[in-house]
Amino acid sequence: MNVLVLLAAILFILMIIIGGRKGLRSFIALFLNFGVIIVTVLLMNDPNVNPIILTLIACVIISWISLFYINEVNKKTKTAFLSSIISTIFLLLFILFITDKAMIQGFGEEEIMELSIFSFYIGVDFVKIAASVIIMSTIGAITDTAIAISSPMNEIYYHNPDISREELFKAGLNIGRDILGTSANTLFFAFFGGYLALLIWFKDLSYSLGEIVNSKIFNAEMITILCAGMGVTLVIPITSWITAYILVEKNKNTSKQM
Amino acid sequence: MYSIKNIVKKMTFKHILFYALILFSFVASLVFVHNNYSYYERPIVEVTKVDLESKNKIIDLWNNEDFQFTQSLIAEVKNGKEKGENVHLENDYSLSKGYDHEFQVGDELFITFDADMEGNEGLTGTILDVKRDKYLLIVSWIFIFILLIVGKKQGLFSIVSLVINALLLSYALDIYVNNAEISLLLICSISVILFTVISLVLVNGWNEKTHAAIIATLLGVFITLFISYLALRVTSGEGLRYEELQFITRPYEVVFLAGLFLGSLGAVMDVAITMSSSIFGLYEKNNNISIKAIIKSGMEIGKDIMGTMTNILLFAYVSGSIPILMLYFKNAYPFGETLTMNLSLELARALAGGIGVVLTIPLGLYTTIFFVKRKRAKSS
Repeated sequence: MNVLVLLAAILFILMIIIGGRKGLRSFIALFLNFGVIIVTVLLMNDPNVNPIILTLIACVIISWISLFYINEVNKKTKTAFLSSIISTIFLLLFILFITDKAMIQGFGEEEIMELSIFSFYIGVDFVKIAASVIIMSTIGAITDTAIAISSPMNEIYYHNPDISREELFKAGLNIGRDILGTSANTLFFAFFGGYLALLIWFKDLSYSLGEIVNSKIFNAEMITILCAGMGVTLVIPITSWITAYILVEKNKNTSKQM
Repeated sequence: MYSIKNIVKKMTFKHILFYALILFSFVASLVFVHNNYSYYERPIVEVTKVDLESKNKIIDLWNNEDFQFTQSLIAEVKNGKEKGENVHLENDYSLSKGYDHEFQVGDELFITFDADMEGNEGLTGTILDVKRDKYLLIVSWIFIFILLIVGKKQGLFSIVSLVINALLLSYALDIYVNNAEISLLLICSISVILFTVISLVLVNGWNEKTHAAIIATLLGVFITLFISYLALRVTSGEGLRYEELQFITRPYEVVFLAGLFLGSLGAVMDVAITMSSSIFGLYEKNNNISIKAIIKSGMEIGKDIMGTMTNILLFAYVSGSIPILMLYFKNAYPFGETLTMNLSLELARALAGGIGVVLTIPLGLYTTIFFVKRKRAKSS
């Protein structure tokens, strides 16, 4: 039997036992999201399509699945959705700038040896692809943080409907700060685990510090980690502000109507 | 909103000292990284003039259209005994830039000098790589500033925990590389215990919530490792394509398992601390809450985080393979073969991490209940 099938089966059974129907939906969402990534990559193969636009569309669909399919459509998920998209756009602009400057696109010299049979003149813009990679790595964590902030903010507002917009915003920031450390850790360790082979490689071939900090692969991976950290941090004020704005604004309107 | 005056008034001497220190290191490191040429042995040049020499359309074997450009560059040498002289460089690049770069005035490059040939006017050289250290430094500083501004104290702790964990990992790998007889899994197990304690204590302080989370995390990751190991043994690793671990100087199965172990740690910690702080929150609100009610609420919280946490891992792992997937597709590799060749390890990591996340929900729940019961027994 295939390892992947076995692991997927174990995960499926555990999710059903522990999560029930929601577990089933989470499992299906995992596969839908994987499908979205693959379809995005296939569409990126068309040289006439801008990978950045495609990535943004993919992020919208992914946030949609993670928020509206696993959970349900309500005020909490709607504000989280809006905040995820806005944070993604902000982060994307920065990442596009930095991937272009630092020239971390495509493949490094360490990878190229095994890929020598391939043609690299394939007519797609690897700079934009590199930006897509960083954004796609972070989108899961961005949506997670957004819902983790907007959900308790809605509760706070529900229990204290008289709260001012500024107070609600500050409450959101505080919630965000409390989860910042663990969200950042989730990403850091995921990347550390993924890059373990590379780190051992650097050590085994005794790269000098100068070679490591200038190598394309190390830079690409460090910049991914740092941008992912920025992503989960930036989503905190953005979600707090949007949620506070939407909730308190609505309140004023209804009181006027009455 | 605060005015700047109020902020300054509210700042204590310690704060001012801290900000001044940060600002000073920011400026000092920027100055250093823009003037560190003499620390490098390889010659560094700065491009001063760029001319586009030719532009050719190329069509490869698979009918992919691209353009190839040739640039002729004049650059100033920044270090070594040729410092200050001009060197002439040639650079080929394509529109897709998969393995080449387009250079502009101001870019800094590592080069080697070509051996002197007769009849040659001036120096010529070959481009080796781009000097990227300044960009890495700037991104790191932006990261630090964003975390400090938004996260304040918690942001600082996240940075500290990242730095300590990275140094610890680097040190652990040094031990591994220099002592062939110690197993990587053993080293990783010890590191994982240290990572867990350091990260959770830094994020959450030294209290019962943290103790419960530490125990749940360790149980969670070790059981995950055990399940993944069993799954590998039972199926004798069928379906995993280790050749995609490109950088490999060591037995690949162990490196893969160690990476999987480390990779699931962050997500498992996240779940464990979420479970323990929310359950302690319930207990603190109502000291007489029944264990049954705690279990019910705890499982609800667990169900809520299960979906998004497994997705985080999926995206963090699979996205990195996008460029190589595109290279395969564009070189007319069959669809199924491309996916199994390039995604098997990432998917295994994501699935194993997901197992860890889901398992940690009941583990975190019951560990925390144990601590709640103990606290209740103490207080009554």
